Amino acid sequence: MRKRINIRISGLGGQGAVTSAHVLATAVYKEGRHAISNPFFGAEKRMAPAESYVRISDQKIYDRGEIVYPDIIMLYHPQVYTMGKCYTMPFYSGLKKGGLVIINTDHPLLNEEDIQRLEELEARLLYIDATQIAVDIAGTELASNMAMVGALVGATKIVAMDSLDKALQDRFGKKYVASGGTATLDEAIKKKFAKKEQLLAKNLQTIQKGYEISSAWVETFKTPMLV
Amino acid sequence: MGKNNLKICSDLEDIMPPEYRELVASATYGKENRGWKDIGSAKELIEEHSLCAGCPEAIAFRYVLASLPNPEDTVMVGSTGCTSLVFPHVAVHNIHSLFGNQNAVASGLKRALKLRFPDREKDVVVLAGDGATVDIGLDMTLQAWFRQEKFTTICFDNELYANTGGQESGLTQKGFVMKMAPQGKQFNKVRMPEIARESGCAYVAILTVSKPNLVERVLKNAVLIARTIGPTYIQIYTPCILEIGKQSMEGLQEMRDAEGPNDRFAFREFITDEAKAFLADMDEKKKAAAAAKIGTAAPAGVK
Amino acid sequence: MAGNNNRSIGAVNKKGQKIVEPEYLFFEAPRQEFFMTGSEIVKEAIRRASVDISVAYPITPQSEAAALVGELWTEGYVGDYFRGENEFAVMSQCAGASFGGARVFTTTSGPGTLRAFENFPMWSGARLPILINVMVRGVNSPLNIQPDTLEMAFLLDTGMLIWHAETAQELFDMLLKGFIVAEQPDVHLPIAVCIDGFFVSHTKEMVSLTGTDICLPHYDPYRSPVPCMDMEAPPMRMMRDPFVMKSNYISYATHASWQQEVRGAVERARKYSVRYLGGMIEEENSDADILIVSSGTAVAQGREAVRLLAEEGIKVGIVRIKSIRPFPTEELRQATKNARLIFVPEFNVSGWMAREIKSTIDRNHRVIAGPHVAGGMTMPPEIIAEEIKKVMHLRKKELVHG
Repeated sequence: MRKRINIRISGLGGQGAVTSAHVLATAVYKEGRHAISNPFFGAEKRMAPAESYVRISDQKIYDRGEIVYPDIIMLYHPQVYTMGKCYTMPFYSGLKKGGLVIINTDHPLLNEEDIQRLEELEARLLYIDATQIAVDIAGTELASNMAMVGALVGATKIVAMDSLDKALQDRFGKKYVASGGTATLDEAIKKKFAKKEQLLAKNLQTIQKGYEISSAWVETFKTPMLV
Repeated sequence: MGKNNLKICSDLEDIMPPEYRELVASATYGKENRGWKDIGSAKELIEEHSLCAGCPEAIAFRYVLASLPNPEDTVMVGSTGCTSLVFPHVAVHNIHSLFGNQNAVASGLKRALKLRFPDREKDVVVLAGDGATVDIGLDMTLQAWFRQEKFTTICFDNELYANTGGQESGLTQKGFVMKMAPQGKQFNKVRMPEIARESGCAYVAILTVSKPNLVERVLKNAVLIARTIGPTYIQIYTPCILEIGKQSMEGLQEMRDAEGPNDRFAFREFITDEAKAFLADMDEKKKAAAAAKIGTAAPAGVK
Repeated sequence: MAGNNNRSIGAVNKKGQKIVEPEYLFFEAPRQEFFMTGSEIVKEAIRRASVDISVAYPITPQSEAAALVGELWTEGYVGDYFRGENEFAVMSQCAGASFGGARVFTTTSGPGTLRAFENFPMWSGARLPILINVMVRGVNSPLNIQPDTLEMAFLLDTGMLIWHAETAQELFDMLLKGFIVAEQPDVHLPIAVCIDGFFVSHTKEMVSLTGTDICLPHYDPYRSPVPCMDMEAPPMRMMRDPFVMKSNYISYATHASWQQEVRGAVERARKYSVRYLGGMIEEENSDADILIVSSGTAVAQGREAVRLLAEEGIKVGIVRIKSIRPFPTEELRQATKNARLIFVPEFNVSGWMAREIKSTIDRNHRVIAGPHVAGGMTMPPEIIAEEIKKVMHLRKKELVHG
């Protein structure tokens, strides 16, 4: 694994890009390693571009802010690509060689030109229908960020599932104060589940499904992942 | 603060300024039923007025300070303008910070004093001109009322910016030609008492200072209601004789001319039912206490 | 003081927190690690700060922190709290509370700082030891909500103390230490603890915190060099703050000497800042030929650039400025005396920090103002490394041709 993994998550407001970045970073922290996560967004707005970033390393991390040179890019919504709801154009701008791209979509999304560019960068590309997984397992598309985190961890094994579980407990298991929009969505998702334990369990199952799919996908390659 | 705190160390007494010695010896801190009639027989809480000769604001200041129910536990907040020329001579703690922010400062101050002295009444009284209250500070004036901050706001309304040389203000009358209104003011005098009532003041009064009895009654009502119920507002006409071309002796007449039944400073009072009940209750208690006093005094006399 | 419980060291407040010596809390008390955002850190610092009053107003990126302080009020850790109507009013409400003897905390960002501005020199002139956490953000126009340190340049000459935290950890420590330095009788000035919005406020990172069972001593308004406006202390004829509007020599002299005294108080804060912050600057390999000198997260980015350049065999040192007012004049002169090139990366368009440094050290042609990014743009370490290599190359050529 690289000395530093930079993950750029491009999503839309309300999809939980920020929440999942914090969960991922917390999981790394739970393993006694170094992580830093931060969001970047404009005016708080549903469906507007919202990015968040996670930096993971075994040494102390100083760098913060937007990630310009990512190792891994995740798109949480097809519109990030189709409608350019992204802070960087093209979305893979700055992607380091041998990187990983995971896109939440129910059909192959990228055009020939972009696929070719990614190939030149020796990047691996995974399409995963995270929204469908979230609806099937958790009964709400609000959990699609969890499926994406699962897919990332399945492909990279960057953090143990057990640590993710602990991070989820931290985020949803106790009182958490978030900004207005996030707090409203927290309430919405809590209403979906009778009990907190149920919410945690469904989130974890959604993560697991994403994990299984991408783990199987990684097996299909003859060479190991570069990130 | 008890009046007892106000003592001069006997060793230093001879070097204290005479005004200060007078303040300690014969000011009316802690005096029950203090009022405008103390003026002339007791040390006033205002040393000199430092305003134009004959300025009605000077006498308004004296009546207000003479009528404060508890000056020994009152902190005042002023603003920039003619009133700020007087405040350095006022013998209650008072604050000047910026132009127009008086009601914001008072909000923080009142809450701090409430927090630090939970078992005592510390009155906060704002006194500022019409520019500070109605123009530059209007937002903060109103928001303090919306929040139901428990202090009294007094506006000395001279219907213009006096200290900067006679410019139009929101309380200037329509049509008046002033600096910055060379074609006459284009809109009506802002109806501040009505706005105060609608903004949540428990007690509102508009008056001139031609009748000291009235000033005293209104001021006491306002401070006592603010203490227990909610914000109160008093608007007092203090004409700027300089800017309206009057002589030093003509201030009183100017006020009288402005307070006829149909004039803009005709005495008006708005009072909520809650505040009314509070005043009635207070009156009753006072009467009962007075009766009790007579009752206990009588047997003593017989003895 | 009337109505209050025992406020002395060792006493326990109504939340069960033991009041301890500041030095114990800062340097000796056991700490535990947490993973938190900067906003959450503000809450945790204020929980331990015996704050009497806090006034809030929403503006990104400080809204979360300001709301969290409201929770502390609900929980009983803060005496009073409310939302003001705008930042000008909020800072005036803070002033009123401070005049009345309360320990006051507030937060603001970018346009809020500017809207409130008239209050800041007034706070200094009135000697109000209010602590404001400024979470810097770009100022209009055009509208921007992202990190940008331009507003700090405006604060430089307000007479306030100004500290700049690099991380959430430092934010925690500076918030607590800030009250104690600002409230020293020979200082007694407002203090702005600045952080870069989002980069610190919204970033989740590791921090180590003292227990919730101990807190700072309360503010004692009677140690103030100016009287508290509570009508408790004679003499009675006392106005805060008595300006002199008469046009005569006394009025000029009064204003001038008062303002000089404010600057003098800023200077007197130096010894406390050194003691509590462990020095006004932080040095790392400052004997190197090439230095990166700045404050806040621009330094964090610089640290990563140092790593990148080390891989190429280029040695670069770091000097980080922690206290901007008072400014570490002597420290900077010493730390930079052997440097050949001094780079000042900044998150603003004007390069005010480079200007400050240039006006402080000798041979100031050594100072390269940059790289700059503004409006919330990130500053990749690669950009800093590139800039350093470019200038090194250029200066070498100059030498050859010169």
